[in-house]
Amino acid sequence: MSEEKGISMATAKKESLPAHGQAAAIEIHGLVVKYGSKRAVDGLTFRVPAGTIFGFLGPNGSGKTTTIKTLLGFRPPDGGSAQVLGYDVVSQSLQVRARVGYVSETNSLYDFLTIPQLCAFCRSLSPEWNQQVVDRYIGLFGLPPREKVGRLSKGMKSQLALSLALGGNPDLLILDEPTAGLDPLARHEFLNTLISEVAAEGKTIFFSSHMLSEVEVVADWVAIIRKGKLVLCDELDHLKQTQKVVKLTYAELLPVSEIEMLRSLPEVKSLAQEGRSVRLVAQGNVDTLTQTIQTRPYELRDIETVDLNLEDLFLEYMKERTDDR
Amino acid sequence: MIVKELIEARWKAIICGLLALVLVEASAATYDLLRPVLSNTSSLQMPQFLQQQVQQLTSSYSLYVWGNWFAKNGTEILAVLAAVLGAGLIAGEVSKGTIFLLLGKPISRERALLTKYALSALILFAVTVLSSVALIITAAIAGYPQQLGGIMISTVLLWLGVLFVLGLALLFSVLFKDVLRPLLCTLVITILAIIPGFFPNWGAWSLLGYWSSQAAYLGQSFPTKELIICLVAAALPLFLALILFRRQAY
Repeated sequence: MSEEKGISMATAKKESLPAHGQAAAIEIHGLVVKYGSKRAVDGLTFRVPAGTIFGFLGPNGSGKTTTIKTLLGFRPPDGGSAQVLGYDVVSQSLQVRARVGYVSETNSLYDFLTIPQLCAFCRSLSPEWNQQVVDRYIGLFGLPPREKVGRLSKGMKSQLALSLALGGNPDLLILDEPTAGLDPLARHEFLNTLISEVAAEGKTIFFSSHMLSEVEVVADWVAIIRKGKLVLCDELDHLKQTQKVVKLTYAELLPVSEIEMLRSLPEVKSLAQEGRSVRLVAQGNVDTLTQTIQTRPYELRDIETVDLNLEDLFLEYMKERTDDR
Repeated sequence: MIVKELIEARWKAIICGLLALVLVEASAATYDLLRPVLSNTSSLQMPQFLQQQVQQLTSSYSLYVWGNWFAKNGTEILAVLAAVLGAGLIAGEVSKGTIFLLLGKPISRERALLTKYALSALILFAVTVLSSVALIITAAIAGYPQQLGGIMISTVLLWLGVLFVLGLALLFSVLFKDVLRPLLCTLVITILAIIPGFFPNWGAWSLLGYWSSQAAYLGQSFPTKELIICLVAAALPLFLALILFRRQAY
Protein backbone atom coordinates (compact mmCIF):
# COMPACT_ATOMS: atom_id res chain seq x y z
CA MET A 1 0.00 0.00 0.00
CA SER A 2 1.44 3.40 -0.92
CA GLU A 3 2.07 5.99 1.75
CA GLU A 4 -0.29 8.42 0.02
CA LYS A 5 -3.10 5.89 0.09
CA GLY A 6 -2.32 5.05 3.66
CA ILE A 7 -2.56 8.71 4.64
CA SER A 8 -5.81 9.19 2.75
CA MET A 9 -7.31 6.22 4.56
CA ALA A 10 -6.08 7.39 7.91
CA THR A 11 -7.58 10.84 7.27
CA ALA A 12 -10.85 9.29 6.24
CA LYS A 13 -10.81 7.24 9.40
CA LYS A 14 -10.36 10.26 11.62
CA GLU A 15 -13.12 12.14 9.84
CA SER A 16 -15.55 9.27 9.82
CA LEU A 17 -15.25 8.02 13.34
CA PRO A 18 -17.70 9.24 15.88
CA ALA A 19 -16.46 10.15 19.32
CA HIS A 20 -16.06 7.06 21.43
CA GLY A 21 -19.35 6.37 23.07
CA GLN A 22 -19.56 5.03 26.56
CA ALA A 23 -21.61 2.05 25.46
CA ALA A 24 -19.73 -1.14 24.71
CA ALA A 25 -20.39 -3.10 21.55
CA ILE A 26 -18.63 -6.11 23.04
CA GLU A 27 -17.91 -6.86 26.68
CA ILE A 28 -15.95 -9.93 27.67
CA HIS A 29 -15.36 -10.96 31.28
CA GLY A 30 -13.00 -13.77 32.25
CA LEU A 31 -13.83 -15.74 29.12
CA VAL A 32 -12.47 -19.29 29.05
CA VAL A 33 -12.79 -21.59 26.05
CA LYS A 34 -11.19 -25.01 26.01
CA TYR A 35 -10.37 -27.53 23.31
CA GLY A 36 -10.25 -30.69 25.38
CA SER A 37 -7.99 -29.85 28.29
CA LYS A 38 -6.19 -27.05 26.42
CA ARG A 39 -7.30 -23.50 27.18
CA ALA A 40 -7.55 -21.71 23.83
CA VAL A 41 -8.94 -18.61 25.54
CA ASP A 42 -7.83 -18.18 29.11
CA GLY A 43 -9.59 -15.60 31.27
CA LEU A 44 -9.99 -12.96 28.58
CA THR A 45 -11.43 -9.62 29.72
CA PHE A 46 -11.86 -6.51 27.58
CA ARG A 47 -14.48 -4.23 26.08
CA VAL A 48 -14.94 -2.86 22.60
CA PRO A 49 -16.34 0.68 22.64
CA ALA A 50 -19.28 1.22 20.29
CA GLY A 51 -18.51 3.08 17.07
CA THR A 52 -14.84 2.16 16.98
CA ILE A 53 -12.69 0.15 14.63
CA PHE A 54 -11.15 -2.40 16.93
CA GLY A 55 -8.13 -4.44 15.82
CA PHE A 56 -7.84 -7.81 17.55
CA LEU A 57 -4.26 -8.95 17.24
CA GLY A 58 -2.29 -12.00 18.12
CA PRO A 59 0.00 -14.60 16.61
CA ASN A 60 -1.40 -17.71 14.94
CA GLY A 61 -3.13 -19.96 17.46
CA SER A 62 -3.43 -17.21 20.05
CA GLY A 63 -7.20 -17.62 20.40
CA LYS A 64 -8.52 -14.83 18.13
CA THR A 65 -10.80 -17.01 16.03
CA THR A 66 -11.94 -19.00 19.05
CA THR A 67 -12.93 -15.77 20.79
CA ILE A 68 -14.90 -14.67 17.72
CA LYS A 69 -16.59 -18.06 17.40
CA THR A 70 -17.65 -17.81 21.04
CA LEU A 71 -19.02 -14.31 20.54
CA LEU A 72 -21.19 -15.61 17.69
CA GLY A 73 -22.40 -18.67 19.58
CA PHE A 74 -20.51 -21.22 17.47
CA ARG A 75 -18.74 -22.47 20.58
CA PRO A 76 -20.05 -22.33 24.13
CA PRO A 77 -17.67 -20.74 26.67
CA ASP A 78 -16.26 -22.96 29.40
CA GLY A 79 -16.11 -20.04 31.80
CA GLY A 80 -16.71 -16.33 32.09
CA SER A 81 -19.26 -14.37 30.11
CA ALA A 82 -19.58 -12.20 27.03
CA GLN A 83 -22.15 -9.71 25.81
CA VAL A 84 -22.45 -8.44 22.27
CA LEU A 85 -24.53 -5.27 21.84
CA GLY A 86 -25.90 -5.95 25.31
CA TYR A 87 -27.01 -9.51 24.52
CA ASP A 88 -25.57 -12.55 26.23
CA VAL A 89 -23.72 -14.67 23.68
CA VAL A 90 -25.03 -17.94 25.11
CA SER A 91 -28.67 -17.31 26.00
CA GLN A 92 -29.34 -14.60 23.39
CA SER A 93 -27.26 -15.83 20.50
CA LEU A 94 -30.04 -15.30 17.96
CA GLN A 95 -30.40 -11.63 18.92
CA VAL A 96 -26.63 -11.26 18.69
CA ARG A 97 -26.51 -12.72 15.18
CA ALA A 98 -29.50 -10.63 14.08
CA ARG A 99 -27.47 -7.47 14.71
CA VAL A 100 -23.99 -8.65 13.76
CA GLY A 101 -22.50 -9.00 10.29
CA TYR A 102 -19.84 -11.67 10.20
CA VAL A 103 -17.14 -12.51 7.70
CA SER A 104 -15.37 -15.74 8.60
CA GLU A 105 -11.69 -16.52 8.47
CA THR A 106 -12.15 -19.13 5.77
CA ASN A 107 -14.45 -16.74 3.91
CA SER A 108 -16.28 -19.69 2.42
CA LEU A 109 -19.36 -18.99 0.37
CA TYR A 110 -21.50 -21.45 -1.56
CA ASP A 111 -19.53 -21.80 -4.79
CA PHE A 112 -22.41 -23.44 -6.66
CA LEU A 113 -24.71 -20.44 -6.24
CA THR A 114 -24.76 -17.29 -8.33
CA ILE A 115 -24.50 -13.92 -6.57
CA PRO A 116 -28.30 -13.30 -6.77
CA GLN A 117 -28.96 -16.82 -5.44
CA LEU A 118 -26.54 -16.25 -2.56
CA CYS A 119 -28.25 -12.92 -1.83
CA ALA A 120 -31.62 -14.69 -1.81
CA PHE A 121 -30.22 -17.30 0.58
CA CYS A 122 -29.00 -14.61 2.99
CA ARG A 123 -32.24 -12.64 2.60
CA SER A 124 -34.26 -15.71 3.61
CA LEU A 125 -32.31 -15.94 6.85
CA SER A 126 -31.99 -12.26 7.79
CA PRO A 127 -35.11 -10.42 9.02
CA GLU A 128 -33.73 -6.94 8.25
CA TRP A 129 -32.20 -7.67 4.89
CA ASN A 130 -31.60 -4.66 2.69
CA GLN A 131 -30.87 -5.73 -0.88
CA GLN A 132 -30.22 -2.14 -1.97
CA VAL A 133 -27.28 -1.92 0.42
CA VAL A 134 -25.86 -5.20 -0.90
CA ASP A 135 -26.33 -4.08 -4.51
CA ARG A 136 -24.60 -0.79 -3.70
CA TYR A 137 -21.54 -2.56 -2.28
CA ILE A 138 -21.49 -5.08 -5.11
CA GLY A 139 -21.48 -2.13 -7.49
CA LEU A 140 -18.87 -0.30 -5.43
CA PHE A 141 -16.53 -3.28 -5.56
CA GLY A 142 -17.28 -3.80 -9.24
CA LEU A 143 -18.35 -7.41 -8.77
CA PRO A 144 -20.04 -9.12 -11.74
CA PRO A 145 -23.64 -9.07 -10.50
CA ARG A 146 -24.86 -12.39 -11.95
CA GLU A 147 -21.65 -14.41 -11.75
CA LYS A 148 -21.36 -17.79 -10.05
CA VAL A 149 -19.56 -17.44 -6.72
CA GLY A 150 -17.14 -20.25 -7.58
CA ARG A 151 -15.82 -18.22 -10.53
CA LEU A 152 -14.90 -15.19 -8.42
CA SER A 153 -11.32 -14.50 -7.33
CA LYS A 154 -10.37 -14.68 -3.66
CA GLY A 155 -10.42 -10.89 -3.40
CA MET A 156 -13.86 -10.72 -5.01
CA LYS A 157 -15.16 -13.36 -2.61
CA SER A 158 -13.92 -11.29 0.35
CA GLN A 159 -15.66 -8.25 -1.08
CA LEU A 160 -18.84 -10.25 -1.66
CA ALA A 161 -18.68 -11.64 1.88
CA LEU A 162 -18.40 -8.10 3.24
CA SER A 163 -21.31 -6.94 1.05
CA LEU A 164 -23.45 -9.80 2.33
CA ALA A 165 -22.43 -9.16 5.93
CA LEU A 166 -23.67 -5.58 5.51
CA GLY A 167 -26.97 -6.68 3.96
CA GLY A 168 -28.51 -7.46 7.33
CA ASN A 169 -28.01 -3.85 8.42
CA PRO A 170 -25.74 -4.83 11.33
CA ASP A 171 -24.69 -2.54 14.18
CA LEU A 172 -21.48 -4.50 14.57
CA LEU A 173 -19.24 -6.10 11.98
CA ILE A 174 -17.05 -8.96 13.11
CA LEU A 175 -14.37 -9.78 10.58
CA ASP A 176 -12.00 -12.68 11.14
CA GLU A 177 -8.78 -12.12 9.18
CA PRO A 178 -10.79 -10.46 6.40
CA THR A 179 -7.86 -9.64 4.14
CA ALA A 180 -5.83 -12.84 4.56
CA GLY A 181 -4.59 -14.02 1.20
CA LEU A 182 -5.54 -10.86 -0.67
CA ASP A 183 -3.07 -9.01 -2.88
CA PRO A 184 -2.12 -5.47 -1.80
CA LEU A 185 -4.57 -3.80 -4.22
CA ALA A 186 -7.53 -5.92 -3.14
CA ARG A 187 -6.55 -5.39 0.49
CA HIS A 188 -6.43 -1.65 -0.02
CA GLU A 189 -9.84 -1.57 -1.70
CA PHE A 190 -11.31 -3.68 1.05
CA LEU A 191 -9.91 -1.58 3.89
CA ASN A 192 -10.70 1.69 2.16
CA THR A 193 -14.34 0.66 1.83
CA LEU A 194 -14.37 -0.48 5.41
CA ILE A 195 -13.29 2.94 6.62
CA SER A 196 -14.91 5.32 4.17
CA GLU A 197 -18.23 3.53 3.86
CA VAL A 198 -18.87 1.26 6.81
CA ALA A 199 -17.23 3.07 9.71
CA ALA A 200 -18.66 6.33 8.37
CA GLU A 201 -22.13 4.98 9.13
CA GLY A 202 -21.15 4.65 12.78
CA LYS A 203 -21.00 0.87 12.80
CA THR A 204 -18.57 -0.81 15.16
CA ILE A 205 -15.98 -2.92 13.39
CA PHE A 206 -14.19 -5.67 15.30
CA PHE A 207 -11.61 -7.41 13.19
CA SER A 208 -8.87 -9.88 13.87
CA SER A 209 -5.64 -9.77 11.97
CA HIS A 210 -1.98 -10.45 12.18
CA MET A 211 -1.18 -7.91 9.46
CA LEU A 212 0.01 -5.15 11.73
CA SER A 213 0.45 -2.54 9.02
CA GLU A 214 -3.20 -2.73 8.02
CA VAL A 215 -4.40 -2.65 11.60
CA GLU A 216 -2.31 0.45 12.21
CA VAL A 217 -3.92 2.22 9.27
CA VAL A 218 -7.46 1.17 10.06
CA ALA A 219 -7.90 0.60 13.78
CA ASP A 220 -8.31 3.16 16.52
CA TRP A 221 -8.36 0.59 19.31
CA VAL A 222 -6.22 -2.52 19.57
CA ALA A 223 -6.14 -5.58 21.77
CA ILE A 224 -3.34 -8.09 21.67
CA ILE A 225 -3.78 -11.65 22.88
CA ARG A 226 -1.22 -14.37 23.25
CA LYS A 227 -1.92 -17.96 24.22
CA GLY A 228 -5.51 -16.99 24.97
CA LYS A 229 -4.59 -14.27 27.43
CA LEU A 230 -4.95 -10.53 26.98
CA VAL A 231 -1.62 -8.79 26.71
CA LEU A 232 -2.82 -5.30 25.89
CA CYS A 233 -6.00 -3.38 25.19
CA ASP A 234 -5.83 0.33 24.56
CA GLU A 235 -6.53 3.17 22.19
CA LEU A 236 -3.89 3.15 19.49
CA ASP A 237 -3.22 6.90 19.68
CA HIS A 238 -2.85 6.66 23.44
CA LEU A 239 -0.38 3.84 23.08
CA LYS A 240 1.66 5.82 20.60
CA GLN A 241 1.63 8.89 22.81
CA THR A 242 2.73 7.07 25.91
CA GLN A 243 5.33 4.82 24.36
CA LYS A 244 8.29 6.00 22.29
CA VAL A 245 11.46 4.60 20.86
CA VAL A 246 14.64 6.45 21.90
CA LYS A 247 17.59 5.76 19.62
CA LEU A 248 20.98 6.55 21.12
CA THR A 249 24.31 6.56 19.29
CA TYR A 250 27.39 6.83 21.52
CA ALA A 251 30.92 7.80 20.59
CA GLU A 252 32.25 4.66 22.23
CA LEU A 253 30.96 1.27 23.23
CA LEU A 254 29.13 1.55 26.54
CA PRO A 255 30.35 -0.52 29.48
CA VAL A 256 28.02 -3.20 30.83
CA SER A 257 27.44 -1.23 34.03
CA GLU A 258 26.07 1.72 32.05
CA ILE A 259 23.80 -0.55 30.00
CA GLU A 260 22.44 -2.00 33.22
CA MET A 261 21.96 1.52 34.60
CA LEU A 262 19.96 2.52 31.50
CA ARG A 263 17.91 -0.62 31.75
CA SER A 264 17.06 0.15 35.37
CA LEU A 265 15.62 3.60 34.59
CA PRO A 266 11.87 3.67 35.43
CA GLU A 267 10.86 4.95 31.97
CA VAL A 268 12.73 2.20 30.12
CA LYS A 269 10.55 -0.74 29.16
CA SER A 270 13.19 -2.55 27.14
CA LEU A 271 16.65 -2.04 25.78
CA ALA A 272 18.51 -3.42 22.81
CA GLN A 273 22.18 -2.78 22.12
CA GLU A 274 23.99 -3.11 18.83
CA GLY A 275 27.57 -1.91 18.96
CA ARG A 276 27.59 1.77 19.86
CA SER A 277 23.87 2.08 19.26
CA VAL A 278 21.28 1.60 21.95
CA ARG A 279 17.56 1.38 21.31
CA LEU A 280 15.21 2.02 24.19
CA VAL A 281 11.47 1.52 24.31
CA ALA A 282 10.28 4.14 26.76
CA GLN A 283 7.03 4.63 28.56
CA GLY A 284 5.91 7.68 30.50
CA ASN A 285 7.89 10.92 30.56
CA VAL A 286 10.33 10.57 27.69
CA ASP A 287 11.71 14.12 28.14
CA THR A 288 12.89 13.28 31.66
CA LEU A 289 14.48 10.13 30.32
CA THR A 290 16.42 11.93 27.59
CA GLN A 291 17.56 14.57 30.06
CA THR A 292 18.81 11.87 32.43
CA ILE A 293 20.65 10.15 29.60
CA GLN A 294 22.28 13.39 28.48
CA THR A 295 23.66 14.03 31.99
CA ARG A 296 25.53 10.73 31.98
CA PRO A 297 29.33 10.86 31.50
CA TYR A 298 29.30 9.13 28.10
CA GLU A 299 29.55 11.10 24.89
CA LEU A 300 26.40 10.91 22.80
CA ARG A 301 26.71 11.36 19.05
CA ASP A 302 22.99 11.31 18.42
CA ILE A 303 19.72 11.01 20.28
CA GLU A 304 16.44 10.57 18.47
CA THR A 305 12.93 10.01 19.76
CA VAL A 306 10.41 8.40 17.39
CA ASP A 307 6.87 7.08 17.67
CA LEU A 308 6.48 3.42 18.34
CA ASN A 309 4.75 1.77 15.41
CA LEU A 310 2.31 -1.06 15.93
CA GLU A 311 4.78 -3.65 14.75
CA ASP A 312 7.33 -2.48 17.35
CA LEU A 313 4.60 -2.45 19.94
CA PHE A 314 3.39 -5.91 19.05
CA LEU A 315 6.87 -7.37 19.07
CA GLU A 316 7.62 -5.57 22.31
CA TYR A 317 4.62 -7.09 24.03
CA MET A 318 5.28 -10.52 22.59
CA LYS A 319 8.90 -10.27 23.77
CA GLU A 320 7.82 -9.04 27.16
CA ARG A 321 5.58 -12.02 27.62
CA THR A 322 8.35 -14.37 26.54
CA ASP A 323 10.67 -12.74 29.07
CA ASP A 324 8.00 -13.09 31.75
CA ARG A 325 7.97 -16.78 31.23
CA MET B 1 -32.37 -21.62 2.13
CA ILE B 2 -34.78 -24.04 0.46
CA VAL B 3 -33.60 -23.01 -3.02
CA LYS B 4 -29.96 -23.37 -1.96
CA GLU B 5 -30.60 -26.87 -0.60
CA LEU B 6 -32.44 -27.87 -3.77
CA ILE B 7 -29.67 -26.54 -6.00
CA GLU B 8 -27.05 -28.32 -3.91
CA ALA B 9 -28.86 -31.67 -3.99
CA ARG B 10 -30.13 -31.52 -7.55
CA TRP B 11 -27.50 -33.67 -9.27
CA LYS B 12 -27.52 -36.34 -6.58
CA ALA B 13 -31.32 -36.46 -6.79
CA ILE B 14 -31.40 -36.50 -10.61
CA ILE B 15 -28.78 -39.25 -10.96
CA CYS B 16 -30.30 -41.45 -8.24
CA GLY B 17 -33.81 -40.69 -9.54
CA LEU B 18 -32.89 -41.82 -13.06
CA LEU B 19 -31.18 -44.91 -11.69
CA ALA B 20 -34.27 -45.69 -9.63
CA LEU B 21 -36.46 -45.34 -12.73
CA VAL B 22 -34.24 -47.72 -14.68
CA LEU B 23 -34.33 -50.24 -11.83
CA VAL B 24 -38.08 -49.99 -11.33
CA GLU B 25 -38.60 -50.45 -15.06
CA ALA B 26 -36.29 -53.45 -14.99
CA SER B 27 -38.22 -54.87 -12.05
CA ALA B 28 -41.59 -54.37 -13.69
CA ALA B 29 -40.77 -55.32 -17.27
CA THR B 30 -38.61 -58.44 -16.90
CA TYR B 31 -41.10 -60.81 -15.29
CA ASP B 32 -42.11 -62.65 -18.46
CA LEU B 33 -38.50 -62.83 -19.55
CA LEU B 34 -36.98 -64.15 -16.32
CA ARG B 35 -39.80 -66.24 -14.87
CA PRO B 36 -38.96 -69.41 -16.87
CA VAL B 37 -35.33 -69.26 -15.75
CA LEU B 38 -35.94 -68.36 -12.10
CA SER B 39 -38.85 -70.71 -11.52
CA ASN B 40 -36.60 -73.68 -12.36
CA THR B 41 -34.56 -73.31 -9.17
CA SER B 42 -33.38 -76.90 -9.12
CA SER B 43 -30.93 -75.97 -11.88
CA LEU B 44 -29.53 -73.12 -9.79
CA GLN B 45 -26.79 -73.72 -7.20
CA MET B 46 -28.22 -72.09 -4.04
CA PRO B 47 -29.28 -73.01 -0.48
CA GLN B 48 -32.71 -74.56 -0.11
CA PHE B 49 -34.28 -71.63 1.77
CA LEU B 50 -33.20 -69.28 -1.03
CA GLN B 51 -34.64 -71.64 -3.63
CA GLN B 52 -37.95 -71.50 -1.77
CA GLN B 53 -37.83 -67.70 -1.68
CA VAL B 54 -37.10 -67.45 -5.41
CA GLN B 55 -39.89 -69.87 -6.23
CA GLN B 56 -42.30 -67.91 -4.09
CA LEU B 57 -41.30 -64.55 -5.58
CA THR B 58 -41.64 -65.76 -9.16
CA SER B 59 -44.99 -67.40 -8.53
CA SER B 60 -46.88 -64.19 -9.41
CA TYR B 61 -46.16 -60.85 -11.04
CA SER B 62 -47.12 -58.95 -7.89
CA LEU B 63 -44.70 -60.92 -5.74
CA TYR B 64 -41.98 -60.61 -8.37
CA VAL B 65 -42.36 -56.85 -8.56
CA TRP B 66 -42.60 -56.47 -4.80
CA GLY B 67 -39.51 -58.68 -4.27
CA ASN B 68 -37.50 -56.89 -6.93
CA TRP B 69 -38.44 -53.32 -6.17
CA PHE B 70 -39.78 -52.84 -2.65
CA ALA B 71 -37.70 -55.58 -1.00
CA LYS B 72 -34.48 -55.10 -2.94
CA ASN B 73 -33.63 -52.60 -5.68
CA GLY B 74 -35.85 -49.78 -4.44
CA THR B 75 -34.61 -50.11 -0.89
CA GLU B 76 -31.00 -50.23 -2.01
CA ILE B 77 -31.00 -47.30 -4.42
CA LEU B 78 -33.11 -45.10 -2.15
CA ALA B 79 -31.00 -46.01 0.88
CA VAL B 80 -27.87 -45.02 -1.03
CA LEU B 81 -29.50 -41.74 -2.09
CA ALA B 82 -30.59 -41.09 1.51
CA ALA B 83 -27.08 -41.80 2.79
CA VAL B 84 -25.48 -39.57 0.15
CA LEU B 85 -27.92 -36.73 0.82
CA GLY B 86 -27.75 -37.00 4.61
CA ALA B 87 -24.00 -37.43 4.94
CA GLY B 88 -23.35 -34.06 3.33
CA LEU B 89 -26.02 -32.06 5.13
CA ILE B 90 -23.83 -30.80 7.98
CA ALA B 91 -20.44 -32.41 7.35
CA GLY B 92 -20.42 -30.93 3.84
CA GLU B 93 -20.93 -27.45 5.27
CA VAL B 94 -18.23 -28.02 7.90
CA SER B 95 -15.67 -29.39 5.45
CA LYS B 96 -16.18 -26.44 3.07
CA GLY B 97 -16.29 -23.88 5.88
CA THR B 98 -19.74 -22.68 4.82
CA ILE B 99 -21.15 -23.73 8.20
CA PHE B 100 -19.97 -20.36 9.51
CA LEU B 101 -21.96 -18.52 6.86
CA LEU B 102 -25.03 -20.54 7.82
CA LEU B 103 -24.64 -20.40 11.60
CA GLY B 104 -23.65 -16.72 11.45
CA LYS B 105 -27.21 -15.94 10.35
CA PRO B 106 -29.95 -15.32 12.90
CA ILE B 107 -31.61 -18.72 12.67
CA SER B 108 -31.70 -21.42 15.30
CA ARG B 109 -29.69 -24.55 14.75
CA GLU B 110 -32.88 -26.58 14.99
CA ARG B 111 -34.44 -24.65 12.11
CA ALA B 112 -31.31 -25.00 9.99
CA LEU B 113 -31.08 -28.74 10.60
CA LEU B 114 -34.79 -29.45 10.17
CA THR B 115 -34.99 -27.42 6.96
CA LYS B 116 -32.10 -29.38 5.50
CA TYR B 117 -33.61 -32.68 6.66
CA ALA B 118 -37.09 -31.80 5.37
CA LEU B 119 -35.74 -30.90 1.93
CA SER B 120 -33.85 -34.18 1.67
CA ALA B 121 -36.90 -36.08 2.92
CA LEU B 122 -38.98 -34.36 0.23
CA ILE B 123 -36.47 -35.28 -2.48
CA LEU B 124 -36.59 -38.90 -1.31
CA PHE B 125 -40.37 -38.77 -1.27
CA ALA B 126 -40.43 -37.43 -4.83
CA VAL B 127 -38.08 -40.15 -6.08
CA THR B 128 -40.05 -42.86 -4.22
CA VAL B 129 -43.40 -41.67 -5.55
CA LEU B 130 -42.03 -41.21 -9.07
CA SER B 131 -40.71 -44.78 -9.01
CA SER B 132 -44.04 -46.11 -7.80
CA VAL B 133 -45.89 -44.23 -10.54
CA ALA B 134 -43.50 -45.70 -13.10
CA LEU B 135 -44.14 -49.14 -11.59
CA ILE B 136 -47.91 -48.74 -11.84
CA ILE B 137 -47.71 -47.61 -15.47
CA THR B 138 -45.25 -50.31 -16.53
CA ALA B 139 -47.19 -53.04 -14.78
CA ALA B 140 -50.39 -51.90 -16.49
CA ILE B 141 -48.66 -51.85 -19.89
CA ALA B 142 -47.25 -55.34 -19.24
CA GLY B 143 -50.78 -56.56 -18.60
CA TYR B 144 -50.46 -57.02 -14.83
CA PRO B 145 -52.28 -54.07 -13.22
CA GLN B 146 -51.36 -53.72 -9.55
CA GLN B 147 -53.45 -52.81 -6.52
CA LEU B 148 -53.11 -49.07 -6.01
CA GLY B 149 -53.68 -49.30 -2.26
CA GLY B 150 -50.90 -51.84 -1.84
CA ILE B 151 -48.47 -49.79 -3.89
CA MET B 152 -49.37 -46.62 -2.01
CA ILE B 153 -48.87 -48.07 1.45
CA SER B 154 -45.67 -49.84 0.32
CA THR B 155 -44.40 -46.54 -1.08
CA VAL B 156 -45.03 -44.84 2.27
CA LEU B 157 -43.28 -47.68 4.13
CA LEU B 158 -40.33 -47.55 1.76
CA TRP B 159 -40.07 -43.79 2.21
CA LEU B 160 -40.23 -44.08 5.99
CA GLY B 161 -37.58 -46.78 5.78
CA VAL B 162 -35.16 -44.59 3.87
CA LEU B 163 -35.88 -41.76 6.33
CA PHE B 164 -34.14 -43.98 8.90
CA VAL B 165 -31.08 -44.01 6.64
CA LEU B 166 -31.37 -40.27 6.10
CA GLY B 167 -31.61 -39.64 9.85
CA LEU B 168 -28.67 -41.91 10.50
CA ALA B 169 -26.58 -40.13 7.86
CA LEU B 170 -27.58 -36.79 9.36
CA LEU B 171 -26.56 -37.96 12.82
CA PHE B 172 -23.11 -39.00 11.58
CA SER B 173 -22.93 -35.82 9.53
CA VAL B 174 -23.24 -33.83 12.76
CA LEU B 175 -20.61 -35.99 14.45
CA PHE B 176 -17.94 -35.95 11.73
CA LYS B 177 -16.32 -33.10 9.86
CA ASP B 178 -15.92 -34.81 6.50
CA VAL B 179 -18.51 -36.37 4.21
CA LEU B 180 -16.90 -39.77 3.67
CA ARG B 181 -17.04 -41.07 7.24
CA PRO B 182 -20.75 -40.30 7.75
CA LEU B 183 -21.49 -42.01 4.44
CA LEU B 184 -19.53 -45.14 5.30
CA CYS B 185 -20.87 -45.35 8.86
CA THR B 186 -24.44 -44.97 7.59
CA LEU B 187 -24.06 -47.65 4.95
CA VAL B 188 -22.43 -50.07 7.40
CA ILE B 189 -25.14 -49.60 10.05
CA THR B 190 -27.90 -49.83 7.43
CA ILE B 191 -26.47 -53.11 6.16
CA LEU B 192 -26.26 -54.38 9.75
CA ALA B 193 -29.90 -53.41 10.27
CA ILE B 194 -30.92 -55.32 7.13
CA ILE B 195 -28.72 -58.43 7.35
CA PRO B 196 -30.93 -60.47 9.75
CA GLY B 197 -33.63 -60.52 7.06
CA PHE B 198 -31.47 -62.77 4.90
CA PHE B 199 -31.53 -65.55 7.48
CA PRO B 200 -34.53 -67.79 8.12
CA ASN B 201 -36.42 -67.01 11.37
CA TRP B 202 -34.49 -63.75 11.90
CA GLY B 203 -36.79 -61.57 9.83
CA ALA B 204 -38.30 -59.82 12.84
CA TRP B 205 -34.87 -58.35 13.68
CA SER B 206 -34.39 -56.86 10.26
CA LEU B 207 -35.63 -53.38 9.45
CA LEU B 208 -36.01 -54.46 5.84
CA GLY B 209 -38.94 -56.67 6.83
CA TYR B 210 -40.80 -53.59 8.04
CA TRP B 211 -39.80 -51.27 5.17
CA SER B 212 -41.08 -53.75 2.61
CA SER B 213 -44.09 -55.59 3.97
CA GLN B 214 -45.26 -58.24 1.52
CA ALA B 215 -48.67 -58.51 3.17
CA ALA B 216 -49.21 -54.75 2.85
CA TYR B 217 -48.28 -54.78 -0.84
CA LEU B 218 -50.65 -57.62 -1.58
CA GLY B 219 -53.42 -55.87 0.36
CA GLN B 220 -53.70 -58.70 2.89
CA SER B 221 -53.36 -56.51 6.00
CA PHE B 222 -52.83 -52.94 7.02
CA PRO B 223 -49.20 -52.62 8.24
CA THR B 224 -49.83 -50.77 11.52
CA LYS B 225 -46.90 -52.39 13.32
CA GLU B 226 -44.61 -51.79 10.35
CA LEU B 227 -45.63 -48.14 10.13
CA ILE B 228 -44.99 -47.58 13.84
CA ILE B 229 -41.61 -49.30 13.75
CA CYS B 230 -40.58 -47.39 10.61
CA LEU B 231 -41.72 -44.09 12.14
CA VAL B 232 -39.82 -44.71 15.38
CA ALA B 233 -36.75 -45.87 13.48
CA ALA B 234 -36.90 -42.74 11.30
CA ALA B 235 -37.48 -40.36 14.21
CA LEU B 236 -34.83 -41.69 16.59
CA PRO B 237 -31.66 -40.72 14.66
CA LEU B 238 -33.22 -37.38 13.71
CA PHE B 239 -33.95 -36.65 17.35
CA LEU B 240 -30.39 -37.57 18.36
CA ALA B 241 -28.98 -35.46 15.53
CA LEU B 242 -31.00 -32.47 16.75
CA ILE B 243 -29.67 -32.81 20.30
CA LEU B 244 -26.10 -33.24 19.11
CA PHE B 245 -26.24 -30.37 16.62
CA ARG B 246 -27.60 -28.04 19.28
CA ARG B 247 -24.54 -28.77 21.44
CA GLN B 248 -21.90 -29.12 18.77
CA ALA B 249 -19.08 -26.58 18.85
CA TYR B 250 -17.62 -25.31 15.57
